[in-house]
Amino acid sequence: MRDPISVGLGERVVSRDPEDVLVAYGLGSCLGIGMIDPVSRVCGLLHAVLPAKNNGTDPFNPKFVDSGINGLIEEMIKNGAMRNRLVIRMAGGANMLTAPGLSKTFDIGARNIESAHDVFQSLRMTLKSEDVGGTRGRTVRLYVGIGRMTVRVIGEKEVDL
Amino acid sequence: MSENELNFDDKLMSMLHIIANEGINNAARGFSGLLGEKLTVNNPGVRMVELKEIPHILGGPENEAIGVYLRAEGDISGQIMLVIPYDKALELVDLLIGNPPNTTQELGSFERSALAEVGNQTGTFFINSLSSLTGLDVRPSPPAVMVDMVGAILDIIVATTGGVSEHVLLMEANFELGNRKVETNFWVIPDEKTLNAIRFGAS
Repeated sequence: MRDPISVGLGERVVSRDPEDVLVAYGLGSCLGIGMIDPVSRVCGLLHAVLPAKNNGTDPFNPKFVDSGINGLIEEMIKNGAMRNRLVIRMAGGANMLTAPGLSKTFDIGARNIESAHDVFQSLRMTLKSEDVGGTRGRTVRLYVGIGRMTVRVIGEKEVDL
Repeated sequence: MSENELNFDDKLMSMLHIIANEGINNAARGFSGLLGEKLTVNNPGVRMVELKEIPHILGGPENEAIGVYLRAEGDISGQIMLVIPYDKALELVDLLIGNPPNTTQELGSFERSALAEVGNQTGTFFINSLSSLTGLDVRPSPPAVMVDMVGAILDIIVATTGGVSEHVLLMEANFELGNRKVETNFWVIPDEKTLNAIRFGAS
């Protein structure tokens, strides 16, 4: 079996090779957003770090949730996907710092989730499923050949998202 | 915080090395007092690494690890994170509690609080050295402890520094008791103001 393709911090990967498995390892406050076109079999995974881009940066910058989503849609379409067929799944956005006094200031996870919901709403796109928030890190995998997306936390089994 | 690359020159690195050594030596004295045995902690190096390099140092982003996080507050600010892969954390607990090797098999609340104390002491001593060297008022926050995937722990730093290409200072700390040794890593993420204070406080 081929090695999975790691989608690192602030990266996106789009593939139409059925052998590929796209993975975002150890998502804490970051979001892993997967898009699947079940007809053209194009799949893409985004590993976004922060809620919103600054003015003037690349409108498709994968580091930010807002520009990252737009960039992923764009690249999916470029690879043959149809926008109205996209199945979208999302995981991550945990609050890793739960100590008193610290968590509020640093809850980037919640802000990332909020940003994603806002973006999808303004694009009139719906999320098929999500596993977000909480206090635990997650690994997400996207199996391109079967269009399956999974999520796993420490000490537990990989489950369908 | 800015995304600009911080300027880590040789002089600054050697100052940080001095601060790290002093802080770690003080921490070792504290631990020896607690243990009643001579625990030594040495600091073989301080170097600058890219954030994205850290998961590889710690066995991969999905590897399970324990993180102890502190903030330095006051005239200057910064963040300190002690991260230990899970298996090494078990070894360190045995060493600190005075158990034979391989006694501890999982991290319960007692073991976690012991590790929190390690992070707390080492981080606090580092901050105190920094404070006495620069004459600035700096205080540590209470420690937050988490057990999770390396990548998820790292997200705290990534999110608060706002960058993915940022560099952090990596300090190694080796805990030794007799012939037993546990290697750990600290990351210190100072802001630019802190670095300037160190640079000029030293001159």
